[in-house]
Amino acid sequence: MNALLTARLLLVLIALPAIGQPIGLRPPSAVAAGSPVSIATSGAGTATFYLLGPSHAVKRTVQLGQEVSIPGSDLSSSGLYQAIACDSSGCASAAFQVLPASPARFSFLVHPSRVPVNTANAINATALVFDRFENTVLEPSSVAFRFSPGVGEPFNRRVPTELGIAWLQMGSTSKQGPLRVLASVGENAETRVIQQVASEACGLRMQATSGPRNVRLQTEPVRDCGGNPLPDGTVVSFTKIDGAGRSTVDTPIKKGVASAQFSVSGPARISVACGVVLGNEISLGGQP
Amino acid sequence: MTAASLRVTPVVGVLTACITLISGFEFSSSPVRAASLPKVTMNAESIRPRPIEQRTGETVTQAYARAWQDLAESLETNRTDLLGDYFTGKAKNRLSQRISDQQKLGLRTRYVDRGHQVKAVFYSPDGGEMQLQDQAQVEMQILDGDKAISTSNSTQKYLVLMTPGADRWYVRSLEEVPDNAF
Repeated sequence: MNALLTARLLLVLIALPAIGQPIGLRPPSAVAAGSPVSIATSGAGTATFYLLGPSHAVKRTVQLGQEVSIPGSDLSSSGLYQAIACDSSGCASAAFQVLPASPARFSFLVHPSRVPVNTANAINATALVFDRFENTVLEPSSVAFRFSPGVGEPFNRRVPTELGIAWLQMGSTSKQGPLRVLASVGENAETRVIQQVASEACGLRMQATSGPRNVRLQTEPVRDCGGNPLPDGTVVSFTKIDGAGRSTVDTPIKKGVASAQFSVSGPARISVACGVVLGNEISLGGQP
Repeated sequence: MTAASLRVTPVVGVLTACITLISGFEFSSSPVRAASLPKVTMNAESIRPRPIEQRTGETVTQAYARAWQDLAESLETNRTDLLGDYFTGKAKNRLSQRISDQQKLGLRTRYVDRGHQVKAVFYSPDGGEMQLQDQAQVEMQILDGDKAISTSNSTQKYLVLMTPGADRWYVRSLEEVPDNAF
């Protein structure tokens, strides 16, 4: 009888610490996205374990007092995760942060797609850096930009990211043609192409050839200040003022030059313009 | 009903905006729109490289407030269809996955949104992306069935990427970040 009582007492004494022990969860304070993690638990018996993160929710039965293993696939999204364990006595919870992994990919945007040459701060390049799970990489990383103009030497810029974004602003180069922009983060690289086009006309000049009743006008090759020819189709305006009044002819550049023909009555003044740029003016004596 | 106030301050020739959206006191009669519009205060004084236009600031603030309203409601009711109006891309996919998991497991998440202090920090020159830093006061309750298994009340920081759509701004990325992130 005494032996039975002693055995029962022993059983109660052994079980008491476990019964009285509250549930505890001890996750690591932070872990990299995609890395498996073990969460230490305390208590006794079984419990329902929950894990809630930005893109996941998990629920399963666990043995308290043992570690709960979470596979990396349940921790792919960076953010705050809530680990919860509940048994019949109540619930315990603990939060931990999943941080972005190392840079693995990026989005690269260049603006605009066409830009006039020699224009200050006209080109903008932006790179958004992510880890392999598309989490924004918060730690500064370096984005290397390489600019290769059609004419001239390539040049490089290196920009650190700030909360996942690196951007730069720069002027276009002096020569028209494609400007290749290569951005790279680690081993990943992407290229975009900007078309640099001639700027406004510069030193616009025309010459006149007078006939018996009219005058024929033709510009010299129309170029910008960097010597880039303005593209065919760019409109040039010739304006004549004479005794008959004012007359304007808009004509597109063809093969680099623009031409027009006016009939003239009496003395006349003829001017030429392309966009906001005024060219030379010609005065004619006129024909009776 | 939404009351919006806008303060615009010229700083070094650039218009910067401090915009507040405050949820009204009107109760919704619709059974679908249960959650109220959270209070969102946006400061765009340090945004770069492109300044924010007044109207854009208002639109972004309103879209962000509505996105949180939808987030709260979708996580509580486990309805992914509520995410389509103001979420897109990664943010929508992640929330949809979380809701799908919750639904399978019989879980729900209840948010009591106490407001957002938002700082707009990046606006791309082409107007295609805007990055926000949000300091949110959110009470979160996890429910298994009808039983609350966890309640937390904290200030949480979010890094947000918003992109414009045809007629509104969308939350493309919404990531909880550590306290020291910004």
